[in-house]
Amino acid sequence: MKRLLIVDDENNLRLLYKTEFEAEGYHVDTAGDAKEALSMFEREHYDLVILDIKMPGMDGIEALGKFLGRDNKLPVIINSAYDSYKDNFMSWAADSYVIKNSDLTELKQKVKESLGESMYEF
Amino acid sequence: MLMDQIRLEHNIFRNLLTVILAGGRGERLYPLTKSRSKPAVPFGGIYRIIDFTLSNCLNSGLRRIKVLSQYMSHSLDRHLKEGWSIFCRDLDEYIDSVPPQQQFQETWYKGTADAIFQNIYLLELIHPGYVLILSGDHIYKMNYAEMINYHLEKNAELTVAAVEVESRLAAGMLGVLQVDTHGRIMDFEEKPATPKPSPYRSKYALVNMGIYVFNTEVLVRNVVADAKQDTTHDFGRDVIPAMIPKNRCYAFNFVDESGGNILYWRDIGTIENYYQANMDLLKPTPRFNLYDPDWPVRTYVGQYPPAKLIRTEPSTDGRKKLGRARNSIISPGCIIDGANVINSVISPGVYVGPDAVVEDSIIMHGTHIGAGCRVRCAVIDKNVRISPKRTVGHNHDEDIRFFELSESGLVLIPKEFSF
Repeated sequence: MKRLLIVDDENNLRLLYKTEFEAEGYHVDTAGDAKEALSMFEREHYDLVILDIKMPGMDGIEALGKFLGRDNKLPVIINSAYDSYKDNFMSWAADSYVIKNSDLTELKQKVKESLGESMYEF
Repeated sequence: MLMDQIRLEHNIFRNLLTVILAGGRGERLYPLTKSRSKPAVPFGGIYRIIDFTLSNCLNSGLRRIKVLSQYMSHSLDRHLKEGWSIFCRDLDEYIDSVPPQQQFQETWYKGTADAIFQNIYLLELIHPGYVLILSGDHIYKMNYAEMINYHLEKNAELTVAAVEVESRLAAGMLGVLQVDTHGRIMDFEEKPATPKPSPYRSKYALVNMGIYVFNTEVLVRNVVADAKQDTTHDFGRDVIPAMIPKNRCYAFNFVDESGGNILYWRDIGTIENYYQANMDLLKPTPRFNLYDPDWPVRTYVGQYPPAKLIRTEPSTDGRKKLGRARNSIISPGCIIDGANVINSVISPGVYVGPDAVVEDSIIMHGTHIGAGCRVRCAVIDKNVRISPKRTVGHNHDEDIRFFELSESGLVLIPKEFSF
């Protein structure tokens, strides 16, 4: 079972993502801020990280660099309510950039792509 | 037409950032790099190696320069402060030394491409349209503006400066380019055993000079892609070969501002290269001329009295000894006191005592060579003290007791050594 780490400062979104991605068959852990996420990453193995950008304390862009510093092949997906960071060169180090949406189809699709799983595989 | 050209260059230069890679350890230049980085190694009497690249920038009109330093950057930083604090920051012109910030990563630079990857935040901050990447350890004269114009004319995404080097010298040492008739790069091999010939002359290979003009977005995409793979994170070995099939990569033929038919470009990779490039300066009409008013080379020397070559007072043997220098560079503050200096490069503040003979050597700042010493084929670092009547480079067994010898047998004496 692939392990996802989802980092977002909004409680309700964390809960939503956890439920949705568990239903897709992933093991999901969540963190409310980047520091907590990084210390979880030190202890546990994850196959993919989904990162919010605007969070109190360390933001997602800074955390992205730190994740990649620990594992340069780790797939990271930025999941932000804002598209303004799309032009930020540092965000280009992420595998993909998804604008937050109540419909999680795109995010789920990007997770599958980054993990090398096709939508049509059974 | 001329005004259009001037306007174009002005706009391009405002939209271009120059990055000088100055972070190499320079292990093959040890012990000159024992306590300083390679670009800070003294050269040609009064210069440091990085002065030649920085002077090229200055003479090309480039005024927004970041120097990425790393190991033992103290002497490099000091030199940049002393000699190169010449631009006006209010006009957005600068030469900044940037040590690793570890903002994005928490390691030393793993290669040239990683040095750019780890400084993506700088590119984000400045957001230039183009980035010129240079090495801080080459000796040559080049107007980068011509290369930048070529990059625009070709509508290239990457332009690599290339120079013809004899194939036997390039083999196993340098990166070799293959180009089509339009200058587009078709293939690139890093340090091949048998280099493919240049399209212009069969006994030569077209070699990568480590000078790149990138469209910034293309640069960022490619260093990010490289950072996510287990490569050596090197432009020559990894990034450029990966770009050739998918990006518009062109080669720009090096135009030597020294003039003449034979191009002068030296990569100061080894002690032998370093020694030879210094000795090149001593030729009567050197291919690399420091005295060209059209291409001044800037540095920091500091306050020294003039050099003097003097005759010692008669000693007990009744002979007057003449201070002489032949075919040599003698820097300010040197005293050649009844000694004989031949085919050598002498940095500021060096003293050579009565009856001493120094030949075919490089002697750095503040070194004191006692009376009657005989020194040949040596590279002597700063503030070394040699007691009277010692020999260096004359007795192999004696030399290897104290010193490291280079491959060709040059005696290497480290900084502050006293014997």
